[in-house]
Amino acid sequence: MLKILIPTLFLLPTTWLTSSKWLWPTALTQSMLIALGSITWLNNTTDTGWTALNSYIGTDPLSTPLLVLSCWLLPLMLLASQNHLSSEPMNRQRMYITLLATLQLFLILAFGATEMIMFYVMFEATLIPTLLVITRWGNQTERLNAGTYFLFYTLAGSLPLLVALLMLQNNTGTLSLLIIPYAKPLLLMPFGSKIWWAACMIAFLVKMPLYGMHLWLPKAHVEAPVAGSMVLAAVLLKLGGYGMMRLMIVLDPLSKEMVYPFIVLALWGVIMTGSICLRQTDLKSLIAYSSVSHMGLVAGGILIQTPWGFTGALILMIAHGLASSALFCLANTNYERTHSRTMLLARGLQIALPLMTTWWFIASLANLALPPLPNLMGELMILTSLFNWSAWTLILTGIGTLITAAYSLYMFLMSQRGPLPQHMLALPPSYTREHLLMALHLIPLLLIILKPTLLWGWFAC
Amino acid sequence: MADYREAPLATRPKTLDPNEYFNLSPDYRRAEAERAALRAGLKRQYQLQLNNPHRKELIEDPALNRWVYARANPYNHFKATKKTSLLGALFGVAPLFILYYVFKTDRVCYGGR
Repeated sequence: MLKILIPTLFLLPTTWLTSSKWLWPTALTQSMLIALGSITWLNNTTDTGWTALNSYIGTDPLSTPLLVLSCWLLPLMLLASQNHLSSEPMNRQRMYITLLATLQLFLILAFGATEMIMFYVMFEATLIPTLLVITRWGNQTERLNAGTYFLFYTLAGSLPLLVALLMLQNNTGTLSLLIIPYAKPLLLMPFGSKIWWAACMIAFLVKMPLYGMHLWLPKAHVEAPVAGSMVLAAVLLKLGGYGMMRLMIVLDPLSKEMVYPFIVLALWGVIMTGSICLRQTDLKSLIAYSSVSHMGLVAGGILIQTPWGFTGALILMIAHGLASSALFCLANTNYERTHSRTMLLARGLQIALPLMTTWWFIASLANLALPPLPNLMGELMILTSLFNWSAWTLILTGIGTLITAAYSLYMFLMSQRGPLPQHMLALPPSYTREHLLMALHLIPLLLIILKPTLLWGWFAC
Repeated sequence: MADYREAPLATRPKTLDPNEYFNLSPDYRRAEAERAALRAGLKRQYQLQLNNPHRKELIEDPALNRWVYARANPYNHFKATKKTSLLGALFGVAPLFILYYVFKTDRVCYGGR
């Protein structure tokens, strides 16, 4: 763990002390080496489940895929940001990389935490660099509104979580993830325990986001610069899922009754947000709502607390992280050429930029969960475990899958096929950097097809 | 150079139709001539921008901007009428209760089948 944490921490002096000529290559190389080093975590050899364990941090098969994803994403974020930051003064560029590196540090500590309070503190700490990135480097005036929604929705959801965790600490005496599964269940008065359950879950449901509390997400994703969108879609949403999966163990006997409203919201949200996607004119907004849709399925999979549900949720989180981040990078390539997010202005690109069409195609297929990609594996596992939970969910999830396919194809056809707008003159050809970025997103997604058990969490026997 | 066509859905002004021209009053013809002059001015602006060799950015279309803003900000101009309340209740509130009832009955009475 230290071999990843110390290099990430020292990325901060690196960005401030390198000369401006070597800033980006150095930051990229260091973060790429950290990413390659983090892949060694996937080797879980211990019987107890916890690898790289010390008093504060450890990794287990649940947190490892998410850790590798967040480490992998930092070089990709730096690659994506290189163009739009190149015109800014050096100090602002260094500040940007510093913010991304501190975000990475907090994410590694959050996913690796064995103590729930440490996880909570890091969960909150990740909000600050993200807020700074959204409000200071976003492109439109709505970024202030977006930052406010983002910060206050998540904070308001997570303050009850602090109270709930402190109550749990008082009653069980510990909040260590290694001990909590074996501790006595929390016995409170009937109504009090329902409130405690809700307090534990609301923070993560807002973060995921669940359909009723998702308003912050389209704003934050759309107004953030590309690296902010990438990290929000790929990793920060998964913090919510990860927190839910960890806390579900503690909440057990209450969950049987309390989950119904949230599963209903999650599944109905899949359909509603999918339908909203079909009406979107703004490309980033479409991808943001598709994130809400996929996360609704993940929330449904986690809330039913079955092994396949958890496994499907974890795989879908990782696969969606890579695919959604890829789509945001593609949307950014459009934005850098037309300076507009409107889909109508950037259509017919297959004629102008045919190689980028390949990446659009693969990313859209990943979004609509084409076999044999891991997106399908996650969705199928969640679908079947939800069907086992109650047969009627199949109607909702089936319609949801249909609508997902519809809007993913709509996005692809709208941006790639059709006539090119007639007043489009200066479309710079695709840079090698952009191709490298897309390759680094989609090649891991394709490689996961070959060994998905790496991502199965606790149930990969 | 890009081709210029008439907008396919726009109606032709009556003054341009030789069968109708002599049925129209002079006031109407004058008003139509003014409108045609305005339209020609807009087309000239578009053609100037389109064929400008030093242009590097997209031509801004105010109508498109208004449409995109309208599509992106429905809540600012939302009004609770009978129709919108009915739609909201039908798609936003009722399904939640219906689905809760369906899932609860299915799991409690039939064990999830």
